[in-house]
Parts: sequence; structure tokens; C-alpha cells
Amino acid sequence: MSSRSQDVKKILIAGLPNTGKSLIFNNLTGQYNIVANSPLTTLTFKRGALQVGTESFEVIDSPGLNSLYIHSEEQIQVRDLIFSDSPDVIIQCIDAGRLKQSLMLTADLLELEIPMVIALNAIDATARRGIWHDSDGLSRLLGLPVVETIAVQGRGTGELKNAAQKATTGKNRIRYENAVEDGISSIESELPAGEPYKRIKSLLMLMGDPLMFRYLEKAYGASTVARLTQATENLKRRFKGPINQIIYHSRGQWIDNIVKATTRNQKITPKDFSQTFARLSRHPVYGIPILLAMIYLMFFMVVNVANVISEWLNDVLWMPVQSMISGIFPAGFWHDLLIGDYGVLSLGLANALLTVLPILGVFFILFNTLEDIGYIPNLSVLTKRILAKFGLSGGAVMPLVLGFGCKTMATLTTRGLRSKRERFIAVYLIAFTIPCAAQMGLNMSILGRMGTSAFFITFSVLTFLGTTSGILLNKLLQKEAVKDAFIMELPALRFPSLKGILRKTYHRLYWFLKESLLVFVYAAVAMFAADKLGILEAAKKILSPLVEGLLGLPLAMVDAIILCFARHEAGAALVINLVRKGQMDYVQCIVAVLITTTLAPCIANIMAMTKEVGSKNTLAMLCAIAISAFAASGALNWALNTLL
Amino acid sequence: MDTERRVKEEYLEKLWEMKEQGLSTVDDLSLTMSSTFDACLIDGLAMDGLVQLAQDNGKITLTGAGENRARQIIRAHRIGERLIYDIFGGDFEKGACEFEHTNTVQIIDGICTLLGHPRECPHGLPIPDGDCCRNSVKMTPNLVSPVTEMEIGQSARIAYINADDDRQMHRLNGQQIRPGTVIKLHQKYPCFVVECENANIALDDKIVSNICVWSNAPQKQANRKKLQAVEKKRGSWWRRCLGLGN
Repeated sequence: MSSRSQDVKKILIAGLPNTGKSLIFNNLTGQYNIVANSPLTTLTFKRGALQVGTESFEVIDSPGLNSLYIHSEEQIQVRDLIFSDSPDVIIQCIDAGRLKQSLMLTADLLELEIPMVIALNAIDATARRGIWHDSDGLSRLLGLPVVETIAVQGRGTGELKNAAQKATTGKNRIRYENAVEDGISSIESELPAGEPYKRIKSLLMLMGDPLMFRYLEKAYGASTVARLTQATENLKRRFKGPINQIIYHSRGQWIDNIVKATTRNQKITPKDFSQTFARLSRHPVYGIPILLAMIYLMFFMVVNVANVISEWLNDVLWMPVQSMISGIFPAGFWHDLLIGDYGVLSLGLANALLTVLPILGVFFILFNTLEDIGYIPNLSVLTKRILAKFGLSGGAVMPLVLGFGCKTMATLTTRGLRSKRERFIAVYLIAFTIPCAAQMGLNMSILGRMGTSAFFITFSVLTFLGTTSGILLNKLLQKEAVKDAFIMELPALRFPSLKGILRKTYHRLYWFLKESLLVFVYAAVAMFAADKLGILEAAKKILSPLVEGLLGLPLAMVDAIILCFARHEAGAALVINLVRKGQMDYVQCIVAVLITTTLAPCIANIMAMTKEVGSKNTLAMLCAIAISAFAASGALNWALNTLL
Repeated sequence: MDTERRVKEEYLEKLWEMKEQGLSTVDDLSLTMSSTFDACLIDGLAMDGLVQLAQDNGKITLTGAGENRARQIIRAHRIGERLIYDIFGGDFEKGACEFEHTNTVQIIDGICTLLGHPRECPHGLPIPDGDCCRNSVKMTPNLVSPVTEMEIGQSARIAYINADDDRQMHRLNGQQIRPGTVIKLHQKYPCFVVECENANIALDDKIVSNICVWSNAPQKQANRKKLQAVEKKRGSWWRRCLGLGN
């Protein structure tokens, strides 16, 4: 604590999943952390600076936290940060529509005696539903500043900044029944002196939080923990039945009393179209056509808007440049380096800026809209039963669904799965068959040039591959006893905000350029060098039976497959170039998309895989993926050529 | 005579609880009974053939007959607790202590059925199952039934939850799915979706069958159906076409 500079205070933004923590963070700091109407959007801490008057703060955005009693690995990092870093202020972000659920966490946070502020967020949504919150009353009851905010519109930010300076430790802590209170204080006295947050830690031990004991073992050694375990066991024996029941009962009453005193519900509320739509989108009969319609809409927009823009940009901006340079360097080294097959300008800049960027731009606007509405998490209801066939219980549904956004993030969320076997299956499926948003957009663009049926065939094959590999893995891997219950909160659908969508699209494109523009250029230089040195030629000779023979693709596709490993978008752009030049036919396009989608997860995804399942398993998975990708694409090539 | 039976039953009850905790000596028994402990009664129980005493290590165990009797008592006690807790709230301990001496198995089975065959008492201790649970008899209408038996669009108050483990109980509690709150069933397939405290929650079939709610009394149900029919006519045409309900 002493190493921290004296005048910068730490503010931790904590709260339940999907309550708008990142929005508040963005509003307070002016930075941009990705936001979505979905849980598991923020997976790591993000820090930013805030200046209020003369005071400086460091604001920390955190992943979702349900309570300080931790039951899974994914939430432990937030508690660890609180316990070890001792933030000076905690802003609890509460979704006003889920006040009762959030007060569970408030009850825990109050025990820490860290100055707190409550941001009562999304009060626009509750107002529409006829729920009225007495935020002043809530503030009086809890003894904390309570600030009403509508973070999507940035409202309440100023008040929140001021309140952060006036944060208090609160006064209304839960008094449990005497026997429990005695238990807490007797464990408190057993804890080593100088241990901070003794009360909540004792309570957690009494409730049997296994991760608490692990934490103490690390800090004080096995003997202390053995003593503490014995002490808590003795205490628990005094109670008839599980002590948690008693604790939950007291909490329930505390919450009910607060909510009863501070909220009023209208008896009649206006019809809520978003609720009806949410119900339809989860419906076993109407849900699937809605999903297909959404996918088709995206496909339609990519083909008819993105492709058109990209072709137009290519004609207007790139063609003149190309002809100008050919005028100056009709042939030779400079011609090849700049605008040749592996030119820095052609393969590097033009592909990134003129081909990929417009496609991603259009696709991201659509995808971000879906994210903002909150449609995607609702899909887990539809997919739940199919995934059960792969031996995946509830917890794995969200990671797989999130894979359609970003495979790397999705792989990281598999940490929440308790069963190692399920984590393995989920990580494999994400790497192998699920296209991320960027892949999806580019695939649509490539296949759209060949017609809707090409898109339909490819995605049916991908679905088939995912299903069969899921079932196979389920059969092959050893059964495990751990079965996790499926309890998932579905976000309420929301009308998307245009500003929010555009802002997110801008940042996603900006990050794409920042991360990959140089990769495009370097890749072009590397390919150029490899080509000049004859390495590429040799590689093509070796791979030609595989690429030309098995997959039936033009030899130039070797370049695209190699580029895919550097950056999927670069490979996809090359495929688009080949289509433009008329070197790819219908079947070849389908096979090319299938092989580029399944063969190579991006580097970041591979890193995430290593983190979650270990390097050995990752290597094994990558080998399995490579073999199955080639086998599946080869089989598809044969089948299509035989049938068509 | 009756008081002696009662006292003996208290001993049998304690012996069952000791067995649950893994204790088995006469000393343990005297500790848990404290001042009311009477060694003569133990001999009396042994004479009745309800307990067995090992002379060498001071162990006391229930015989087959003793175990059957104790099982009935414990079952009656915990079912009684459930009944008093679920219906009246408040102090269930005292009432249940009287209740456990009810001699008729049929009454207990009837109440057990009424409550939807609960598996745990309000303390969270297991209720030994009776014939009615094993055959899941439905002679009397269940007042409490699992969410799986609710109709889509129906709301009900949660009576109790038979959680499989601490973690599950904690997660449900975090979503405010706990005794006393009202939940509404939105859909059953492909998986259950319930609404609780303004939030929609997707749940496994298995968990849903553990959540038990107060079902509406039969006459009310008929009434509700009538109301629903009226409501349905009032609903917009496309809702009716889509079979969405209200």
C-alpha cells in the first residue's frame, strides 16, 4: 500500500455482469473499452485516469462479480484485486432493473468498509417499465451516495464524478442472528493479526468458500488453514442444518426490506415490444427462422453494400495508382515490390484499406447492432440442447456463442468451466469451426460473389463439421463426473443507440488497422522476399499435390493459406483478389473459404488456447485441426465436383 | 404411559441425529441430552428391542425396529417443520416437536404429498422418504409442485428449493430465485426460461425440477383458465396466431 503514490486514489468499478460497468468507465475516463449488451464482455481489468477538481483518480474497470462468495474461477480475479490492492473507492454499478440481485453484492461490499458510491444505472429502462426508484431513500437506507445514471447516453456522469469524492463506508450492514454473529467474531479472532477485511473473510469461511481457504493457505501456510478449518467446522456443528440457509434468509429479508421501501411499481405497464421480440427469438419454432433471417440480412448487406463499396474504391482509388506506378516502373524489382503479386502497396496497403476495411466496416455495424440489442446471448437458449449432445453442460454455451464475436475472448471465457473435459471440447470447437466476426464478414463477401447457394453450402458444411467433431470429442474424451448446472441470466433486449454502434464500429476498425496494417505490409514484404529467393516456389511445389490435387484450388491459394496464419483478413483479401481476377470458380471458392476458416485460428487465439489448455494440448489440437481441415475440404471438393 | 412413549421417542430421535453426524456412544448421547439424560430409559429402550448396547466400548446403535421407529419420528418432525415453515412462516421448531409424535403414518404421508414430497427440512437436513415419496402418490392434490409442472405464462411463488449443492443454491440465490419470490415461466423448450425479479433466466431441466412452487388451488385454477380465455380473446390477433399468450 505504501508504494502507491499518495495523491492518486484508486476507484474500482464493480458490479454484476452486464450492468454497464464499461460504459461508466468510458464516461468517467474518456477512454474506450468495448461495451455490449451481454455478460462476459470485459474479461480483464482496464485502467484509466480521472481528474475531479484537484483530485486525481485511477479508475479500474473490472469483469462482472456476483458476490464476494466466489464459486468459479472467472470471478476470483476481482475479489483478489479488492483484497490485495485495497481500492480507495468502489463504485458499484447497479442495473436498476435488477436492484435485488445487485443488492446481494452490495451487502458483501459493505462489509469491506471501503468508501462506496452506487451508480443506479439504466433508470430509463425501468422508468419505461413503470418502476420508480427512490434513489434518495436508497441513499439514506444504505448510508451511501446513490447517483442515477443513464450511461448509454452519458447522463449522470458529472454527478458520479462528484459523488466519487464524497464516497462513504455506508452504515446499514446486515446483522445476522446472534449465533452467526458469534461465529463470525470467533473466526475473526482466529485470523492472523493485521489481515485486512477480517469480517467478510470470516463470513466467507463460515459459508464454506473453498477459494478463501486456498487464498489463506498461500498467505499463511497449511497449518494455519488447518486450524481455521477445524475452528469453522466446530462452529458449523452448532447449527442445525447448513448455516448458509440461515445467512441467505437474513440477506433475503434485508434486500426485501430495502427494495420495498425504495421502489414503487405501476400496476399497468405499456406493452414492451423488446420483451416480445426476446421471447420470439428464443422460441423453438420462431427462433430459428429469426436467426436465419438475421444471418441472411447480414449476408445481403455485405454482398450488396460492402462488396459494392469495396469494388468502387478499388476502381476509383487503386486502379489509377496502379497504372501510374506501372507507368513509372513498367517491370522489374520496383514494380514487383510495390504493385506485384506480393507488392507492399497491392498486397499490403490496398488489400487492407480498400478491400478488407469496407467489408469489416459494414459487417461490424450490423454485428455491433446485434450486440447492442442483446440478441446474441439469447441464442444460448436455442443452442443449449444441441450442445448437450456434445457433452457440454450449461456453462459452455456462452463461450461458444461468444466465439462468433471474437474467438480469442471466447477461448478466455472457457476458464469459467469447471470441467476440464468441457473446456477442452469448447476450446477445440471455437478454434476449429466457429468463424469470428471478421472471418464471417469476409467469408460472406467472398461467397457472395458466387451467390447465396455458395454461402448456404459452406455454412451448412461448417455446422456439420462442428456437430460431428463435437459428438466425436464427446465419445473420445474420458467422462468426468463434474456436471455444472446451467443458470444463465439473459440480458433484456434494448433498443440500440446509433451513436454507441458507430462509436464501437469506429474503435473496432481503428484497432483492426492498428493491429494489422503493419502485419499486412510485413507479410507482403516477407512473401516478396520468399518469392524472390525461390522459397515460395519450393513451398508451392511441395504443397501442390495437397492444394491442387486434394483441394482442387489454384496454386496461388498457397499464398492465401500462408497469409492466413499471419492474419486471417490478409488471406481472405488475397482470395478476393483471385476471385476478381477470375481465377476461382464456384466450387473453388467454397473450398477456399472452408479451408481458410477451419485451418488457422489467429495468433491471439492460439495464445489464449495455450493459456487455457496448456501448450501441449494446444499443439495436439492444432495438428488435429489441420488434418481435419484438409480432410474435410478435400472431401467437400470431391463431393461438389461429383455432384455438380 | 403416553409421556413415557414421548420421552423414548425423543431418545430415538436424538440417536438418529447422532447417526447423521457420525456419533455413536452413550457418552455422546448424554452430552446431547445434557440434564434430561436418564440412563434407565436406555435400558428400557434396549428391553423394547429398539437399541443395542455394546458393553465394551459404550456404543449404542439402533436396531432394525428402532431405526424404523426413529425414521418415522424424524420424518414427521421434518415434514412438520416444512409444513409450519412454508405455510405460516416463523417458528417451526416448537410446533414440529409436538407434531413428530403423531402416530399415524397416513397423516404424515398426506401432508408430505400436499407439500410435493419435500426432500429437506427448513434447516436443510434430509427428510427420510416415506412410501408416498417412493410411489409419488397423488391421492391428495399437491399444493406444492415443481416448476416443470407449471404452465407457460403462469406465475407462482416459490415454496422451497431442493438444491443439489451449495454452489447451485448460491447461484440461484444470486438470481433471487429463493423461497418467497414469484417466478413466471416463459418457455420450456429448448430449455426453461423463467422470469424472476425483472430478469429472464435460462435454466437446466434438472434445476427447474428442484424448484418447487405453490400451485394455485383447484378452484382458483378453473377460475384462472376462465380469465385466460377472456384475456386471450382480448389479445391481439397476431399473438393468437403465433400462440404466444400474453
